[in-house]
Amino acid sequence: MLLQQIINGIVVGSVYSLTAMGATLVYSILRILDIANAGAYALGAYVGLFSYVATDNLLLSFLIGMIAMGIWGIFVQKFLYLPLLGKSPLISLITSIGLFIFLGDFIRLWAGPQIKDFPADLKLPFSGIKTENLTIMSVWILVLLTTAILLLTLWYLITKTKIGLAWRATAQDLEIAKAMGINVNVVVAFNFFLGYSFAAAAGIMIGIMYNFISPTMGDVPAYKMLAIIVLGGLGNPVGAVVAAMLIGLIETLVGGYIGFFLPRDSIAFIAVIIILLIKPQGLFVRKNI
Amino acid sequence: MLNFKKIGLMGLVTVFLLVSSFLVVYGAEKPIKLGFFAPITGPAAADGESCLQAAQLAIKLLNEGGGINGTQVELVYYDDAFSPPQAVIIAQKLTTKDGVVAVVSGSYSHTTRASAETYQNAKIPMISAYGVHPDITRTGDYIFRQSFVGAVQGRAAAEVATKLLGGKTISVIYVNNDFGNELSKSFIEYAEKKGVKILSVDSFSLGEKEFTPVLTKIKQENPDILFMVAYAGEGAQIILQADAIGLKCQKLGTEGVDSTMQFLKVAGKKADGLIITTNLNRDSERPEVQNFIKAFTAEYGYAPDMVGASVFDAFTVLGYVMKNYGTSPEEIKNGIYKVKNFPAVTGIIKGYNELGEVTKTVQVQKVVNGEFHYFSEITDLEIVAPPTL
Repeated sequence: MLLQQIINGIVVGSVYSLTAMGATLVYSILRILDIANAGAYALGAYVGLFSYVATDNLLLSFLIGMIAMGIWGIFVQKFLYLPLLGKSPLISLITSIGLFIFLGDFIRLWAGPQIKDFPADLKLPFSGIKTENLTIMSVWILVLLTTAILLLTLWYLITKTKIGLAWRATAQDLEIAKAMGINVNVVVAFNFFLGYSFAAAAGIMIGIMYNFISPTMGDVPAYKMLAIIVLGGLGNPVGAVVAAMLIGLIETLVGGYIGFFLPRDSIAFIAVIIILLIKPQGLFVRKNI
Repeated sequence: MLNFKKIGLMGLVTVFLLVSSFLVVYGAEKPIKLGFFAPITGPAAADGESCLQAAQLAIKLLNEGGGINGTQVELVYYDDAFSPPQAVIIAQKLTTKDGVVAVVSGSYSHTTRASAETYQNAKIPMISAYGVHPDITRTGDYIFRQSFVGAVQGRAAAEVATKLLGGKTISVIYVNNDFGNELSKSFIEYAEKKGVKILSVDSFSLGEKEFTPVLTKIKQENPDILFMVAYAGEGAQIILQADAIGLKCQKLGTEGVDSTMQFLKVAGKKADGLIITTNLNRDSERPEVQNFIKAFTAEYGYAPDMVGASVFDAFTVLGYVMKNYGTSPEEIKNGIYKVKNFPAVTGIIKGYNELGEVTKTVQVQKVVNGEFHYFSEITDLEIVAPPTL
């Protein structure tokens, strides 16, 4: 049972880490809490579903969903966030909440309020493990693999490539990076492309895992990713992953052993409060702050 | 330039005034207005849409059948967005500005409960189509309920669990809101009275999707029955994830999962064997039921669920009352109390008690081959009689 619950927790944590990664990347550069990222999560799931229905190819639908949302992300930053950059961060926050609500209702009008699901005969290239005491579903393996591949790609991009170097410089100080001749606009656009395509990947994965896509599916991630970002040290990608895993495990173990005496979602925030009381700067501090 | 604009504007106003006075004098007899609100946007938008469609269908059929003794009926509807403050604003608008003679709530308990007092104070009758909280009808004599109060359905589900399924040990999981709290409370009370051992009680919040942790725990408890008070979205996840981790016990649900699009389509074959308490018996041969299912499916392209059927019934009852007892709010209120043995889609309405609670039998449906079918019916008055206080 413990092993099963730990596996459950890791799967939940993987999904959280992908979901929170988009907003973490945005925060790291622009210092904006991007609630609308959860809108891309829902919209991406729909794009992924419709392209799966059209192409019958899972990999292709992931790519279409991620690229479409990545481009959407570039639009959002160009026409929404960049014009607001010099203003109070509250204005961008309210803008992003507005955009998020708009997206939810846009999806409802476009695709209808009903729950949509992936076709039941979804073909996965591997099968799950099922014994009397242990179950690992094939979709869980899909979730773990996809998360691992995407996070490794991100790590490679940030630490080993030139654009990654520019990204790190911009994340440290946007003005100085600009003064040093880095094309900050490209870096920010690239950042949003990554952030939004990650959100789309997370949305599609959730859609497959729970067989459940609805216009309001972004509501819970919209605030839960906040807890993860804060816990992970505000804009630290590695911290966000660790925080996501931690919250996934805590939620699962508390839910499994003590029971849902509180709504599960509140557990994440209680964890945040406790950890912030002990370590006010979050689990992982960005060195430059 | 400015003058032209002014003249143009004045001309428009004149035309508008002329046309509207013409309509008042020569227009058709003023239609009777009925109010309606439902969560058409927000997290319950799917239920809201189903309810609105059922309301529009009911009004359409009513008008096609000659309206209320020749007068047409008009539906005035609003979206409460699943928010109690919004529902109160709507109530004020419906009662003061729109001039409706009666209102149907196609919304959940929290919004209906919040707005009930406004209707009571304005003396406009309001029928809650499927809200379960007992306080809704306690607001006053103008407030009615079209479906079972939570306690009735909780007792009925406990009767199914103990008598029909012979369960000795039960684990309970419920959604943490009015609906889940009311149903699980009365279920546990009644089941324990019948000597059942409740192994565990867990709650979850609306919109929860991850049930593996708690289901893994329940699997260890090895209950005879898993009783879940959930809505379609969460209910489907519980069924799917229970199947995934191999929790094989009998599952018992409530009207919350009585939805074709939201529940059966998502849970698919895995839902087979699930038993639920609800108010819609799809296998009933009564023409009211079959005609409704046929008309709804033809109009909207999918089979109706219990929320839609309940809203439809609320309007049918209003239509019947207005035809027979008059169309003023006061006459409608008094008329509803006089309804006896009315054949509605969701069962024969035996009547409304002094609290405004409906008395009808509870349907027990079982999922067979991905469809809801008749399993049993709870008619015992001790169980289905609503509270009077």
